[in-house]
Amino acid sequence: MLRPKHWTVHVDLSSGKVTREIVAEQTEQTLIGGSGVGWKLAAERLPAGVDPFAPDNLIIINPGLFVGTLTPGTPKTTVITKYPTFASEDGRFYVGASTCGGRFFGIALNQAGCQHLIISGKAPSPVYLRIRDDSIQLVDAEDLWGQGIQHVTNQLVRREGPETGTMVIGTAGENLVRNSLCIVDKFNSLGRGGIGAVMGSKNLKAIAVNGTRDIELARPLAYFDFAQELRKRVYAWPRREHWIKLGLAAGWDTFKHTQYPGIWAKDEWDELYGEKTRLETVEEVIACNSCIVSCRLKWQIKGGEFDGEIGFGSPFSKSATSGMLLGVKDFRKMIHLVADANANTGLDFYTTTRIIDFATLMYEMGNLSKEDTGGLELRRDYDTYHKLYDMMAKREGFGAVLADGWFRLKNEFDLDPQDYRYSGFCKGMDFIYDARPSNLHPLMMSFFTRPRPHHGGSHTRTNSRNKTLEEIREQVEAWGLPQKTIDRIFTETPYSGKFNVGRYTKHMEDMMRVKNSLGLCSIFSYQGLIFGNDLAQLYSAASGEDLTAGEMIQRGERISNLAKLINARDGFTRKDDRVPEIWFKPMDSPEGKIETRDYFNTKVIGKEDAEKILDDYYDERGWDVEHGIPTPEKLEALGLEAFSTDALVKTAG
Amino acid sequence: MIVNSVIILPSECRGCRSCQLACSFTRHGVFNPSKSVILMERDVETEHMAPVILPRSCDLCGGDPACVKACPYGAMLVSSAPSEYKILIKE
Ligand code: SF4
Ligand code: SF4
Repeated sequence: MLRPKHWTVHVDLSSGKVTREIVAEQTEQTLIGGSGVGWKLAAERLPAGVDPFAPDNLIIINPGLFVGTLTPGTPKTTVITKYPTFASEDGRFYVGASTCGGRFFGIALNQAGCQHLIISGKAPSPVYLRIRDDSIQLVDAEDLWGQGIQHVTNQLVRREGPETGTMVIGTAGENLVRNSLCIVDKFNSLGRGGIGAVMGSKNLKAIAVNGTRDIELARPLAYFDFAQELRKRVYAWPRREHWIKLGLAAGWDTFKHTQYPGIWAKDEWDELYGEKTRLETVEEVIACNSCIVSCRLKWQIKGGEFDGEIGFGSPFSKSATSGMLLGVKDFRKMIHLVADANANTGLDFYTTTRIIDFATLMYEMGNLSKEDTGGLELRRDYDTYHKLYDMMAKREGFGAVLADGWFRLKNEFDLDPQDYRYSGFCKGMDFIYDARPSNLHPLMMSFFTRPRPHHGGSHTRTNSRNKTLEEIREQVEAWGLPQKTIDRIFTETPYSGKFNVGRYTKHMEDMMRVKNSLGLCSIFSYQGLIFGNDLAQLYSAASGEDLTAGEMIQRGERISNLAKLINARDGFTRKDDRVPEIWFKPMDSPEGKIETRDYFNTKVIGKEDAEKILDDYYDERGWDVEHGIPTPEKLEALGLEAFSTDALVKTAG
Repeated sequence: MIVNSVIILPSECRGCRSCQLACSFTRHGVFNPSKSVILMERDVETEHMAPVILPRSCDLCGGDPACVKACPYGAMLVSSAPSEYKILIKE
């Protein structure tokens, strides 16, 4: 049976020209497909040093290879671009990947034969991109410009049909707010760090896709049978019933410990933001395409000034954390902001609320004056926060400073983001969790080792704190790692305890590259439902090329190296993968002192320990430990010589 | 049980489209929602979705409907109740 053919479709917004090419078989054989191939396209076609808002920046959209097959939880699409968040004081920007699910978007792209959709250039005036199989057009969007995400999505679905996949930016993206994201199929967010603004810089308001082709597989029956087996396994998961009832509203019992900002007592937090508030607000739990657990939410606010307001997405965890940080006791007020961000502006709720908190703290301490804020008094109350949120989205007054993010505050007012009290910070971005309440588990590490400081779907079993060594071992065995490697991961060290988080993180990231290339949602790897060997079996049937889990994760490693190389040519090295300072300042909470501890909670991790863990990460990668970048030997072993930093600079130059 | 119809419970549907994929695979051996005999009805304001089976096209897969087996959320059931179009909708 033949390997199915996949396509790269390039749309240039400046000229309106569309070109198509078949992806070479050999490229998929080395890089899997989906976002793996997307990274190669980025290495070849995204010029080094390009400004994220320049027409030459590319948006490379890659639905996973399995998207649109009846496999549990495979809806994911991964988008690669250069993000506009200032990632360093000297104004560098990272090239990163973001991943989203959806009910229509990924499957429609695959069905339209857009396995890799590259968007370049800048449209002369606002447009949306309409894809209907081979017909690809730029459609005038003057009437949609300035409108909120939800309104635009509704318009597009009415115009293009009920199964249209949509990716839409809000007003913040149009106004080039550097953290702005876009919303896919109304329930799924994509691209904190600024994909929304990159689209805005291109005058691209939205993408609307429909496709009617078959999702081709080399051995469809073998694929189908094994996918059915996986479905049975997920149905038998004991927690499924609880999960499908609450979706992402589930899990407060763990969350209240691992994402605790340490300002209120936990009992008070529980009262204000706990499970009760979730139960009274959730209206429906929605599934992505082919998902048999579902987690996306539709909610409705009951009572208060926002009574009756409906929202789509997942509002609870982020609003609980930011609610405590900002001191907003009415959870409905915070959820309203999430609803507005998802439905209108497309501001990233995490960064927006935290940078507002930071600016307010600095104002209270006298490090920021009324003159600096353009006459605005930064009061610790909801109305002021809301005002700042609006000003950010519109880039009005002091809002324009916040819209440029953490490094603008540093460069203009000498306010160091490393001083921010919660979460930690790296490469221009605040993390979604803080290692002090969570422990230094592998996901925490990937926040600063990845080019883009977000988890990007790396979740594995180790996100939950209570996993045993045996459970972790079972998972890495299923990734197909050699025994020697597994032994290294479980060799006790004085700095990392019984579980070497640095070494494990390397393989976890490679696995993430595999999952994202295939389109598997990380909930399934996080909950220990689908493993590396399962993916290898599915991939073999899909591509017709028999592959073991070990060979699969090696391709993941190749993708990780490629992603690093692209960033190395823009000067990113170990000094950018900086362990956040705040993790080593104990949190003084009403529950007592909270310090960063190792995965199994046996010891406090100090800065030196963390540096040694990072040494181990680079060593496990076979990289130059001092500089944190791939060595020529490593590149040769992976067959990536052509992409060495020098070679890349030459191509780009 | 002799299957004479499929019952759809729109309020249970979560829009995962597994039914469409199972349908096209059983009928044509490919994954392709546009080759299934199921359309998704989508209320764009509420984002509620529900499957609509094209009445004259469905043959109940010879008595063991693939869509019903594929639905993870109990939004489709088999029934022995006869129906002219083989589909019953239960609100
Ligand atoms: S678990 Fe959630 S994000 Fe993942 S596929 Fe299912 S609905 Fe989508
Ligand atoms: S009827 Fe069932 S399988 Fe079909 S979309 Fe709804 S929930 Fe999914």
